[in-house]
Amino acid sequence: MSYFLQLLVSGLVVGSIYALAALGFVLIYKASRVINFAHGQFIAVGAFAVYALAVYLQLNVWLSFGIALFFTALIAYIVEKLFLKPLVGQPIISVIMVTIGLASLLDGLIHLTPFGGGNFSLPRFLPEGGVSFFGVSVSYPQLLAVLLTALFLAGFGWFFQRSTLGAAMRAVADDQMAAMSLGVSVEHVFALAWAAAGITAAAAGFIVGTVSGINLESLVAIGLKVFPAVILGGLDSIPGAVVGGIIVGVLENLATGYLDPLVPGGGTAEVFPFVILLLVLWFKPHGLFGTEEIERV
Amino acid sequence: MRNPWAQTGNYRTDYRQDTAIFATYLEMLSLWAFLAVLLALPLFLSRPQMFVLDLILVYALAVLGLNITTGYAGLINIGQAAFVGVGAYTAALLAPSLPFWLTVPIGGLAAAVAGGIVGIPSLRIKHLYLAIATLAFQIIFEWTVGHSTILKQGGAIPLPRVEFWDYRVGYKNHYYFWYYVILLVVVVLAFAFRNLLRTRFGRALVAVRDNDRAADAMGMHPGLTKIFAFALGGFYAGVAGALYAYLSRAVVIEDYMLPVSIKFLAMAIVGGLGSLVGSFLGPAFLVLLDLNMEDLANWLKSLGLSYAGVDIASAMRPLTFGLVIVLFLIFEPRGLANGWRLVRNFFRNWPFKY
Repeated sequence: MSYFLQLLVSGLVVGSIYALAALGFVLIYKASRVINFAHGQFIAVGAFAVYALAVYLQLNVWLSFGIALFFTALIAYIVEKLFLKPLVGQPIISVIMVTIGLASLLDGLIHLTPFGGGNFSLPRFLPEGGVSFFGVSVSYPQLLAVLLTALFLAGFGWFFQRSTLGAAMRAVADDQMAAMSLGVSVEHVFALAWAAAGITAAAAGFIVGTVSGINLESLVAIGLKVFPAVILGGLDSIPGAVVGGIIVGVLENLATGYLDPLVPGGGTAEVFPFVILLLVLWFKPHGLFGTEEIERV
Repeated sequence: MRNPWAQTGNYRTDYRQDTAIFATYLEMLSLWAFLAVLLALPLFLSRPQMFVLDLILVYALAVLGLNITTGYAGLINIGQAAFVGVGAYTAALLAPSLPFWLTVPIGGLAAAVAGGIVGIPSLRIKHLYLAIATLAFQIIFEWTVGHSTILKQGGAIPLPRVEFWDYRVGYKNHYYFWYYVILLVVVVLAFAFRNLLRTRFGRALVAVRDNDRAADAMGMHPGLTKIFAFALGGFYAGVAGALYAYLSRAVVIEDYMLPVSIKFLAMAIVGGLGSLVGSFLGPAFLVLLDLNMEDLANWLKSLGLSYAGVDIASAMRPLTFGLVIVLFLIFEPRGLANGWRLVRNFFRNWPFKY
């Protein structure tokens, strides 16, 4: 039982990372119907920005986290203005292809920095050890990961419910034409959605950095794990992204705990979420909370 | 009067003339001349050059398949390398017991079945979700190969040298022999690709791409049509994979992973989606770019631009692929095939201006 609980807790931690990453993904999808295949690269940009600031410039970890949030948001904003804005109105295939190209491009750019290969770990800024509930030990970085995710989700929840900008973004997601005719700048909202996605990506990257080491491959892999999370939750649902992310994280850890011994070579966590993805696509294609598209001719 | 050598006006009076492949004799003649050049080319090329040519043709096959799924049917496929891999591994497993002219089509069929299975969700959902299904297939394929002992967990599986009647293919003539085999397959499959749009199946693909509700109302089955598109694209990929396995004489998982899928997409876009000529121009462009990239990386290194911890060579590849995709989509979404179209239209009327 305690083994199960331990798996559950570490699954929650991984799941909260996925939830944050999926949140950014869904923000972009909801606003502009763009499936962003470069999300993992944004997570990597955020994580390496924190690392570079904290290690090379010797800044305080929290300060570098703050700067990295801003930096990643800025990069996402610029990317939208440079690469996606010229394609507004083009067929959806072109738009998705551009994000695939973008992923490759950002990959290459990261390879030009020293972060292309190898493992990096953030300087230790949390005390050793942890707390334990009911015989399950939770380390401080893990605790931080869950709390930080909760904080960000609450922050975004507040932003969308209360602020004018958030309301404008929801309006655009709901009906572009209507929003436009009421004076909302759709262009601005698209770019802002990317910036917001950049913020969540950087936060996810930072959390990965506190819980474990960072390397390019595993960060990009998180960008791919976002897909099972959002498909499970429903592509256009923000609560769905969070729930889906957490479920995928937990299931992945349970797979590691219970299926790995059965499979020669192990590593079921890498593939299990994608099996779930295919099953969801087969049996419940719009996920748990996604809106079913009803088409009329 | 109609001039059979130049298109001096629109003389089409019935449907058959409208769907004719060759508008003028000049075009037919230039195609035959081009094929003759291709047949004679090995006489003038060295062994490494032959390898590059073989590679371009094999990639062109995979890109033709991608152009059926993505170009004709409008379904984004981020798993083309996995379909190529299915063909390659099938051929590698069968090669010791069966002759190559059987394993290549069987490899294609295996990949077609895989394509059909991946396409099953299209019975219920639309293109965006399908793109994600192909991504899932790519990852599941990589993982499965990496964990199967029978597939050497992704390590190299060697293929035996082949014998054709009494003709033994050895080190010297390997690339030359496979060049003709690949050329034959490419000509047959390219012919099929070009004619696909003249059949009702091909037209159904385009109809479903452009408006699947309207296609549904016209009596086509959008879901089955999409599955057909995936299966057909998979078949081309599988044949390409089997040929690639024989060509490189070993199957390694690195050749069938996600970055390769993205490379195929880049080739299709650079060439021009849904275009036959583009399916050759795209791979040729990117393969030659790839070859020069190593020189470029070495040149940058010799300039002293590389510093500790940075591997320029490994950065150049994703960087250029990404840049090529993005720039082509923004500035020339119709790809290199559009340039070809302009040239062709010029010669269609030549020596007249219009």
